[in-house]
Amino acid sequence: MKPAYFLIAAALLVFAPAPSSAQNLKEFEKHVTEFTLPNGLHFIVLERHEAPVVSFHTYVNAGSVDDPKGKTGVAHMFEHMAFKGTEKIGSTDPVAEQKALAEVERIYDQFDAERNKLSKADPAKLKALQARLDAAIEKADSYAEENLYPRIIEQNGGVGMNAETSEDSTKYFYNFPANRVELWFYLESARFLHPVPRQFYKERSVVREERRMRTESDPQGKLFEQMLAAAMEAHPYRNPPVGWASDIENLRVKDANAFFATYYVPGNMTMSIVGDVDPNRMRALATEYFGRLAARPLPAPVRTVEPEQEGPRRVQVVSPAQPIELLAYHRPDQNDKDDPVFDVISGLLAGGRTSILYRDMVRDKQIALASGADATVPGGKYPGLFLFYLVPAPGHTVSENEKELDTVLAQFLKSRIDEPSLARVKTKTRASLINQLDSNAGLAQLLAFYYVNYGDWRKLFTSIDDIEKVTADDVQRVAKQYFTPENRTVAFTYQPEPENSSEKTGAAK
Amino acid sequence: MKRFLWPILTALPLLAQQAVPPASWKALKFPPLREIRIPKIDEVTLSNGMKVYLLENHELPVIRGLALIRTGNLFDPADKVGLAGLTGEVIRSGGTAHKSGDQIDEELENIAASVESQIGESFGTVSFNTLKERGDEVLATFHDVLVSPAFREEKIELAKTGMRGGIERRNDDAHGISQREFTNIVYGRDTPYGWETQLATIDRIKRQDIVDFYKRYYFPANIILAVQGDFAAPEMKTKLESIFGTWKYQQPPVPPFPKVRNTPKPGIYVATKTDVTQTYFAMGQLGGELSDKNYPALEVMADILGGGFKSRLFLKVRTQLGYAYEVGADWAANYDHPGLFSISGSTKSPSTADTLKAIEEEVKRIRSAPVTEQELTTAKDTVMNSFVFNFDTTSKTLNRLLTYRYFGYPDDFIFEYQKGVAAVTRDDVLRVAKEYIDPAKFVIVATGNPKEFGTPLSSLGLPVSEIDLTIPHPKPEKTAASAETVARGRAMLAKAREAVGGDKLGAVTDLTQQATVQLDQSVGGLKVSQTEQWIAPNQFRQENVMPFGMIATYGDGKTGWSATPQGVAPAPEAQLQQIAFENFRIWFSLLRSDMDPERTVNDAEGKLEISDRNGHLVTLRLDPKTGLPASETYATPGDPNGPVEEVFSNWEETGGIRLPRIVAINRGGKHFADVTISSIGINTGITPEQISKPPAMPSPTKKP
Repeated sequence: MKPAYFLIAAALLVFAPAPSSAQNLKEFEKHVTEFTLPNGLHFIVLERHEAPVVSFHTYVNAGSVDDPKGKTGVAHMFEHMAFKGTEKIGSTDPVAEQKALAEVERIYDQFDAERNKLSKADPAKLKALQARLDAAIEKADSYAEENLYPRIIEQNGGVGMNAETSEDSTKYFYNFPANRVELWFYLESARFLHPVPRQFYKERSVVREERRMRTESDPQGKLFEQMLAAAMEAHPYRNPPVGWASDIENLRVKDANAFFATYYVPGNMTMSIVGDVDPNRMRALATEYFGRLAARPLPAPVRTVEPEQEGPRRVQVVSPAQPIELLAYHRPDQNDKDDPVFDVISGLLAGGRTSILYRDMVRDKQIALASGADATVPGGKYPGLFLFYLVPAPGHTVSENEKELDTVLAQFLKSRIDEPSLARVKTKTRASLINQLDSNAGLAQLLAFYYVNYGDWRKLFTSIDDIEKVTADDVQRVAKQYFTPENRTVAFTYQPEPENSSEKTGAAK
Repeated sequence: MKRFLWPILTALPLLAQQAVPPASWKALKFPPLREIRIPKIDEVTLSNGMKVYLLENHELPVIRGLALIRTGNLFDPADKVGLAGLTGEVIRSGGTAHKSGDQIDEELENIAASVESQIGESFGTVSFNTLKERGDEVLATFHDVLVSPAFREEKIELAKTGMRGGIERRNDDAHGISQREFTNIVYGRDTPYGWETQLATIDRIKRQDIVDFYKRYYFPANIILAVQGDFAAPEMKTKLESIFGTWKYQQPPVPPFPKVRNTPKPGIYVATKTDVTQTYFAMGQLGGELSDKNYPALEVMADILGGGFKSRLFLKVRTQLGYAYEVGADWAANYDHPGLFSISGSTKSPSTADTLKAIEEEVKRIRSAPVTEQELTTAKDTVMNSFVFNFDTTSKTLNRLLTYRYFGYPDDFIFEYQKGVAAVTRDDVLRVAKEYIDPAKFVIVATGNPKEFGTPLSSLGLPVSEIDLTIPHPKPEKTAASAETVARGRAMLAKAREAVGGDKLGAVTDLTQQATVQLDQSVGGLKVSQTEQWIAPNQFRQENVMPFGMIATYGDGKTGWSATPQGVAPAPEAQLQQIAFENFRIWFSLLRSDMDPERTVNDAEGKLEISDRNGHLVTLRLDPKTGLPASETYATPGDPNGPVEEVFSNWEETGGIRLPRIVAINRGGKHFADVTISSIGINTGITPEQISKPPAMPSPTKKP
């Protein structure tokens, strides 16, 4: 009889040298002006007069990693509030609105006081307070001139307007035609001088929806969140920037206000301006508009240190989606001397069609559709993770892929990487820098990022030199030190068992 | 004297007036924006008909190029949807006549350059990006890829694997489902604008199809090449002429793209996804083209309705009701065919009906009364004031020219649009809203978990139907049969049966077989000890002993079990189907297929194809000398790895019947395993009780 190949298969499946950066840097420096206001607010101005446009980027050195316990999501919540306007922008009657907003908080305090009684809380009283709270919110919201702040930006030709809260930072950015520069100074200074948290509780629902969209209804988002929470036990990198669902649902105005007061201090903020501008005028306008921000003490960094991981961790998430797998190893922060080595390792193992994982798993063995790595997850300010992700090809499993990754890594640890591969990664890094230099918005973001995280915007260029210095021995040493089983967290999705035969999901076992 | 005072005098204004911020932003005065310098683009046609656009840009030492080819997946044959996309990918990945794809990958990455190729709906591109100092090398590779792609078979297979993977994953993301289903329903699922690549259509695509597709559309007169960057235009012109001028290949002009022809049925279409807490919706109807005289008014209308922070939908559904994080409307005109007017977003499951109602009210409102003066001004100001961003990089200017020329639009179309927007009135907005969008015609797609909708969607008063998201898996396809081919097939079968054992085959009532299976290194290299048993006609059992334990299965055509170190469980449907297939193709059944009225025996281009009405199909290649089956090819039900081929050798006799003792198994064209059969027992008297009893499993060892 013919061997039933199928069952064995099924059973197995129970996976230029280029010009040196110094040259570019010298050119660049000619067009950069930097200054710090007396209150500590730092500005970086880069002139590019090609087109009459300007990109702005405000970088606040605080993010979700700074969310207080029980109030995850507050950094992100404030970011939403920063579009709600100010005392002067966004209200039909600022005085009446202030009173109404204060009334909302007063009633909410009573509501919370009753809730705090837990099982002894009076349900009738809670119901009445909820009704009063809803009415007070209605009333306060009625004074809002909906979304006036972002409308002013759009109506004046602002494009690319957005903001982003990550673990390490919060950023606000948009682009204006060059003749609207003073409007940016007006609006940006106003939003950090006297923001008003109007329509806070409505916006809280919006943020709750955002969580549903990004995490709860997205298999990859969900898996990533679960992986982080398992890989990081103590450090707040374990918390999602959007916040845990119940934390979001309990955020109060005073929480956002407290976060703003502590972290949005001038010395903790950097602003970059790139485009068709006169640096002298930028300095004058900065003094005029942002000089009004009062200096306040710098906030404390996170003091929690993630304890060493002493054994492998696994997380499994049931999902009807096709399987994906994440594998994370602990690594030091971005200021560690080995930081560039991690970037090089990422390029060698997962950067493009010549990368080791692509060739082995996607091209040759065809067990993966895609393989990738990210050297700095979820942020670099504090010790974090080096992350691999694998997407199994149809008919192949997560465990097959994991085994193959283990084999590839074992070989990577054992043998020195060859010089041509190392050179290739370095060349690509250089070229990718050059390709980033023709976008105002991109440059504005990079200049601020390097200044805040490394103390000098010039690091945008000198980081290339750091990459150049990485040797094959460095690569092997760092890989051996960090890619160990005890240091790893593995997270993967898997499909639930079909309840009956008609629920075939279309993937072979 | 004056010279000494000059620096002080210029500094004084800064010191003397301490500027104070105005009370309101409205008090700010803005000087006129300085004139945008629109770079001039050099145009030349090469001697072979290829058009070239050149744009110098010396800010960075890079050169980028894009070849635009008139083709698209709109030209896919209906039974081979995916052909264009596959061709586009393999033009690059499959290497050229001179270099393999891997070689090109390495050479390009070594110098941090790229050459990429793809084909989309209505155009194909081959692009390159390089540092200036490597320009000549990369241009040579770019030329090679565009002009001499080799379409190597293994890269075609790799690309197909990727496409199959994409299909298997296309229902994982609820947002993508809504957009896709909305598009396909409105354009029509059986039209080039609305059909999808399927596993079956990918299976049908052969290398020759890809070569033919490339040859039809990739010729100089059908290509516009745009190059920008750090070079001198005259020099680049000469270079391109010398590199491409020798490509004299010609084809007849490409036919026009198919027209959109569909009238979708309005109503609500629900795609069920149970792993989400939100509903993703996309709703709307067929839209228009950019050349429509009402296009500017339609853009203004869509902007007021749902284009951002100031829009009616954003204010109502997100800000006031807090229902959605994302909601927006888009007129989305196309250059050469009607686009899709759509309103899309997401909301938590219990708010689904309310959100759709709120949106419907806003659409009705904008159709029943003029928008306010403020709304109109805001929308127009937004376009006017941000207009400069259409020109802030030279790339945008070049891409715009390419697009306008490709679709036959005037070069100054964007300025016509600007004038059009400036002239839009409140009456215009009302008129186009009434004329072009009608909620009664809307197709509404909602992807989410109906159990959590709360208020049923039928409360909207529209017909509600269910979308079947099941990904169809292809059944093996039979070759066409005629009376002659069937007669020949039956003759081949009779000959094969004679060679194997003739009438003795019909007298076999049970079989026992022991074998060693050695898997290929590429799939793990395991050695498996296998025992199989069969009782006619359809009781089948297999046990596999692996290093980590035993796995066994049994089935009788209706039910079965599956045993692993974790225990015994009812065999899943997929396994029962595979057992049914084994019963179909066991020698004693297969080689008597001409006696079974449910089966078809056919000569398929010299091979013996045997199939039944249940989708089972195998193809035997017979050895012309011995008449014995040399190999058997089949597709295992539900296995996406590609067809399986078994190659037989070492035929030996047991009880008058010859059976192979060595079988080499290939899967998807690659070696999978070698099977060595050590013993065969025929009619040894196995009982149904024995065959159907699950093995005693050793108790599972604790895993670390």
